[in-house]
Amino acid sequence: MANYYDIDDILAEEELVPAVFLQTANEVGIFDCADETNKVEAGTQVEMPFWLAQELYVRQAVSIKVPPYFDTKAKTRNEIGADAAHVDLRSLCPYFYNFGCKIARLIGEKTIGPLLLVAFRTRYREVLIKAHTAASIVVPKNLTLLTKEETKLYEAGQSSTAAFKKWRMGGPRLQKASVLGRKRKPVE
Amino acid sequence: MGSQSDPHAFAFSAAELEFLAEDETVEIVPNMRLEPLHLISGDFGPFRPQIATQVPLWLAVALKKRGKCTIRPPEWMSVEKLTQVLEAERDSEKFQSLPFHYVEISRLLFDHAREDIPDIYMVRSLIEDIKDVRFHKIGTGLEIISKEVTYALRLKNLSAMEANIVRPFVTQALQTFHKLNTSEAIPESGSIPSRQRQPVNQRDKRVLKGR
Repeated sequence: MANYYDIDDILAEEELVPAVFLQTANEVGIFDCADETNKVEAGTQVEMPFWLAQELYVRQAVSIKVPPYFDTKAKTRNEIGADAAHVDLRSLCPYFYNFGCKIARLIGEKTIGPLLLVAFRTRYREVLIKAHTAASIVVPKNLTLLTKEETKLYEAGQSSTAAFKKWRMGGPRLQKASVLGRKRKPVE
Repeated sequence: MGSQSDPHAFAFSAAELEFLAEDETVEIVPNMRLEPLHLISGDFGPFRPQIATQVPLWLAVALKKRGKCTIRPPEWMSVEKLTQVLEAERDSEKFQSLPFHYVEISRLLFDHAREDIPDIYMVRSLIEDIKDVRFHKIGTGLEIISKEVTYALRLKNLSAMEANIVRPFVTQALQTFHKLNTSEAIPESGSIPSRQRQPVNQRDKRVLKGR
């Protein structure tokens, strides 16, 4: 169940998952070729958003497969094992960790969890170094590889470092309220 | 990862910390005469010319701006003390004990009472150096989290400003680690590349440990 107040949690459930219909379903031809019958035969493989797949899964209407990047045999896994810091997780899935947790919990896939942890451990170090050392204006190029979760983390570190630097540099201690500088409009 | 939409919701701004630091007391030497001030935080004064007295920093700065006193820099802000601290800071992995608000206090004094601080350039650069060394330590310390089994961090003697700067980052990182870790209490089934996981158990001590 998505956290109602967290937009990222909701967006993470938008991720498409491959699912196979276990029963013939009427009125959902939109998933399959949209012919006149407007139904999906049992055994058809379709892609649907996670939030829908979840509900159908608990009603045993579909079976869920893990997306290719979580697949045990896929090359993403090896890439993460080799050097997680340079895998473009964002293009795979913008909410890699959040979504990974969700799908692992739902279908009881035991290999996803450790994968996420290994990936985050390695990537965390990269984010840490960049967030606290990077000059404030230059955006490091690896930023485009980060998932949403990591980007948030990066921004949290980056903005507080920048705020501190700004404070230390000084500048006006008292800020002028925007209303004060305004000139009065001439009365017509 | 609920309610993380604003990473700064639970952090102070630097200016707010400065405000808090203004409650620390400093010694001033007034050059005017004034009855004791009865404030909520305590009674200060009486003020007699050339008789030193303790006042909160905000009051000291206010009087200083009006030319009514000179501020005596706190004990730790001397060249000898700071050199000592800097050396100790470089030699050991621990954080040396400095006033909780040393970053803010030193900045306030540099801004408002520069002529009252002997060797101000030396003092200023020493404090800068100390701060840099400490930040570097924080950085390496945070790196350690990723190698730990238990995601916890002990930062003794960390100052207000330092804690505040890393707070949004650290809390989010720890939350994510916790989340990934708890959702995966299930034992590893061996199909994961485990190169990263080997050194995990060998470290029981965190480096960022105070005295």
